[in-house]
This record gives sequence, C-alpha cells and structure tokens, in this order.
Amino acid sequence: MTELSLFLGCVAPNRYPGIEVAAKKVFSRLGVELADLEGASCCPAPGVFKSLDKVTWLTLASRNITLSEKKSDDILTICNGCFSTLKDANDILKEDTTLKKEVNSKLAEIGHEYRGTQDVRHVIEYLYREVGVDRVREAVTRPLNLRVAVHYGCHLIQPLKDSNLEIADKPTFFDELVEATGAISVDYTDKMSCCGAGGGARTAVLDATLKIANKKLEHMKEAGADCIVDACPFCHLQFDMGQSEINQKFGKNYDMPVLHYTQLLALAMGFSPEELGIAMNAVDTSRFIEKVKTETLENEVCTSV
Amino acid sequence: MSSNIERCYQCGQCTAACPMAEQEQAYKIRRFLQMEKLGLKSEEPMAIPFIFYCTTCYKCQDNCPQGVKIVDGLLSIREAAVRNGNILPAHRKIGQMLMDSGHAVPGNEDAKKRRLQLGLTEMPPTVASSEKQLNDIKILLNLSGFDQIVAEEKA
Repeated sequence: MTELSLFLGCVAPNRYPGIEVAAKKVFSRLGVELADLEGASCCPAPGVFKSLDKVTWLTLASRNITLSEKKSDDILTICNGCFSTLKDANDILKEDTTLKKEVNSKLAEIGHEYRGTQDVRHVIEYLYREVGVDRVREAVTRPLNLRVAVHYGCHLIQPLKDSNLEIADKPTFFDELVEATGAISVDYTDKMSCCGAGGGARTAVLDATLKIANKKLEHMKEAGADCIVDACPFCHLQFDMGQSEINQKFGKNYDMPVLHYTQLLALAMGFSPEELGIAMNAVDTSRFIEKVKTETLENEVCTSV
Repeated sequence: MSSNIERCYQCGQCTAACPMAEQEQAYKIRRFLQMEKLGLKSEEPMAIPFIFYCTTCYKCQDNCPQGVKIVDGLLSIREAAVRNGNILPAHRKIGQMLMDSGHAVPGNEDAKKRRLQLGLTEMPPTVASSEKQLNDIKILLNLSGFDQIVAEEKA
C-alpha cells in the first residue's frame, strides 16, 4: 500500500473538518494510506506571508517539508494554497543552493535539515495522474445525479503551469474526476476565474473579495448547478461563508451547497452526507442532502438491474 | 525569488484581465508596476492599502505579453511596504496568530465540537497538538525577525 503524508493546513481541520474525514475515507478505499503529518503548521499561506517576509515564508514551509522527509513520504495537500506554498518552496530549495544553505542554518537550530528528497502533490492532480479516472470510477458504488459547478482555483493551476505540466494548459482533469462520480460538470461563464479570497485579500478587504465571489456565484446559478465542487478549503470557505455574507450585505438569496471534491467522491462511494460534515456548512444543505439520498437511491437500483 | 518588472512596457493588459480592477477602480496593477519600475517611492503611500487588494489569481500574469512575473513583483512591492511600517492591521493579526498557534487560522470551540462529532480528535494532529513543535515554530519565527514584523507599533 502506498503511503503519503496528509498535510492538513489550517482551514480544513479548523473550519471544515468534514474535508479531513472525507480525504481519509476516499484514499483508504482507493488503497492509498494517508498518514498524519504530525506537528505540521500553517504552510504558510502564500499570499499573505510572502507579502510580510519571504524568508520567514520559506523557512516555515521548509520545516513542514522536512517532517515528510523524515518519514520518506511525499506530501499530499488537500488545499490549493498549501499546494502552492509547499510545491513552490520545494522547487526553490531544490534549485537554489544559497537559499537552501540559509534555510538549513535556521532549521539546524531546531534539529531539522532540508534535503530535497520528497515531492509535494495536490489531491486532484494526484488522483488524476497516479490513481487515474478509471480507477476512481470503478470505486463509485452510488453514482450521483448532480449538476456540478467545478471550481479549479488559481493555486491549483498555477503550480502545475510552473512545472510545465500539460494538464494545466486547457484543464479538464478536475471535470473528468467529477464526472467519474456520475455527476455532470456544467459549463459556466468565467469558470476559471478566482473566488476572490486569496493573497490575504479576504482578511484585508472582505467586501471587495465578496464582489468577485458574487459574480462567480451568479454564473454558477445561471448554469443551473446543484452544488459547487472545489479542491481548496479556502475557496470553500469563501463560497460557503461568503454566500451568507453576500446575502446579508448585498441582499441576495444564495443557497448553493459547497463540497470539496473528496466529499463528493466519498458520497459517490456510499458514505453518508452527515459523516462527511456536509450538514455543517454555513449554507443550509438539507435539501441537497435529501436530493442525494433519494435520487442516488434510484441510481443504485438502476445500476444493479 | 526575484521578479522581472523591468520588462514591463505599460500596455495595461494586466489591469484589463484583473478581476479586482473590475470591482475596485482604485486597484490598478499596471500603475503599481510603473511606480516600482520608476522607483517612485514618494508615491508609495497613495498605493496603500490598494496594493493589498490583489488576490494573487495570476490572471494578469497569464495576460502579459512580456512574460513579467507580475505576482512575484507585487508581493515584493508589498514586502517593501511592510518593511516601511505599512503592514495592514488585519495582516498583523494573522501574523500574530501564526506566532501564537502555528496556524494562520487556529481552531476554536466550534471547530473542536465539530471535530468530535465527526469522530476526529478534538485538536488536529498538527502543531496544535504539540507544545514542543509549537516552540520550534516560535524559534524559527524569531530567527527570521518575524516577531518584530508583526509586533504592535510602540506608542
């Protein structure tokens, strides 16, 4: 059984723990063991901490990577921001011996050493390239009858572009994984645009970032989506908590459930919405949960005939 | 980690592609690149807080005919502003949370309750569960002078 170190980051374990549960469940079903990366900290978040001090950003990121090096595991991130920081830091330190020396002189104070032996992976990119869409489809026991608005997120695509990976050019890999669950990935205007939250902007200028999210939500709603599926707990928070903020501040009435891909896949593997924390969203998900339970029941009957 | 702003010839394709510029007229990435390139430090205060509106979505960079690493450039502009004491209170607070807990978004009572309901440990198996690991983080943050960057200004 392959083993990866699960890098939790901040928002998943501390705001949306259902994502942590779902990630462990789906990987276990797929025969990949996720081990906790004990003692890991904030990645640290790429936008805000690079804006404050790049050396601090790089030093803390390198410490997180050394935790996985000690276990000889590659890191699996379930968040675009963590992916961007850890992959970027790993690439910089593998290339730049001067910076590596500088970072290692600091890490020595706590008994760590960055060696550059492990890779940093993102859950979506890993499922697509290592597990494969077919094996994901085979693991589905309860095909989902849902129209999904897929949100890739900027910091999933950018690190893949930086690595010159072909899948980043005209991305369909996330849509393919969503459709492997039986759902339909709907097309919508400006699908590849930003949720608005990144770069420390949500914290600093909330209303401006909500205007960006509002525009994206409008387009998702126009396309008749039943839910949003993302691969980043921070985009997740911006869309979920953001909807209640937008409803309150801009007089809208959004009620679109937001799921992380691992939660969608876990539903399609037969896990219940409750054990995946879907009912814990800020947006009321009860109608969605009812729909999943009744409609997928029909699917199960159909596929078994 | 260096940028290549000198390649910018001010065509404005960056601002045209920017989702923040569409919502907030005062946010003009082209203008910030120009100021940086020309060394217009005296105009810097006018750019604050607007330089902090960027969501780092990379749309400007994708649209740049000159291949300027715009996001890296903007982050360097911000870093210099922070060094001049122009840190935003909201970002100082996030920095302090990192100093205190090792997480930029630490847990709270609600999170503990939810984790237990889902069958997880009350605290995540991160630095939140280890005094020793948190102490290591604090040592590293102090070594790079981060404690000074996020310290409250002395009255």
